Amino acid sequence: MAATVIGHGITIEGEVTSDEEVLVAGTVRGKLNVDGPVTIEAGAVVEADVGATSLSVGGTVTGNVNASDRVDLLAGGRLIGDVKAARLTIADGASFKGNVDMDV
Amino acid sequence: MANVSTIGRGTVVRGSVRGDGDLDIQGRVEGSVVVEGELTIGESALIKSDVSARRVVVRGAVAGNVSADESVVLESGARVVGDLGAPQIGIRPGALLRGNVSTQVGGQGAGARPRAAAATARAARPKPVERPVAAAPKPAAKTDGLAAKTANGPRVEGNARKPPPPVVPSLKRGAKGALKRKGAR
Repeated sequence: MAATVIGHGITIEGEVTSDEEVLVAGTVRGKLNVDGPVTIEAGAVVEADVGATSLSVGGTVTGNVNASDRVDLLAGGRLIGDVKAARLTIADGASFKGNVDMDV
Repeated sequence: MANVSTIGRGTVVRGSVRGDGDLDIQGRVEGSVVVEGELTIGESALIKSDVSARRVVVRGAVAGNVSADESVVLESGARVVGDLGAPQIGIRPGALLRGNVSTQVGGQGAGARPRAAAATARAARPKPVERPVAAAPKPAAKTDGLAAKTANGPRVEGNARKPPPPVVPSLKRGAKGALKRKGAR
């Protein structure tokens, strides 16, 4: 289980900074800066710029995403914003609108 | 799993946290925390804001008011600077608290804030009042202290006033001993 869990029904408005794994099942508005993996579960809403080592999106993300390692957009996931990551996967059934910068 | 929310040790939140589930805070929060379930503030937690929940258990540090609809418990190791407001309040040995405590039913939540505001207002008002008062007594205390010293000291100096009584017995003791010794010798 992730060290930090923002559960269903929890809303954070502001800036979240962490150096450990973060799992979001609730709502985050503002900024999400994590020096570790971030998982955004189905049903979660993130209206924030996200920085992480790796990001897995099963919910909805509105904002720019910057991952040092990888971004996985899962089936049912929804991402509106620009992605900057070395690796990106977009699963069948995911929604995505934005630019991709894979630092080529 | 997702219903149990945790703000981990290495996580800092600047802003408001609210929700209807339980929340376990081990990290830092600078902003407001309002939860409708049970709120646990862990040993490594540092919260710089008002905290409100149905039940609150504090093991860490809180700089802000703590209010609950049911109960607030400060466990050993808790450090709270702020007011407590809940129908039931527990403070275990080893918990530190600086603030007002209110168990008035119906006074929690909405009540704690005006009280806290009143407390801060009280705290804000007396301070400037206290300063001159405190400033005035200090020299007074010093003079008192000096007076006391001079009053106590004069055992040797002020023979004219009250001091003599202590001087006499002390002399008596010495004199008696000396006399006895002299007499014995």
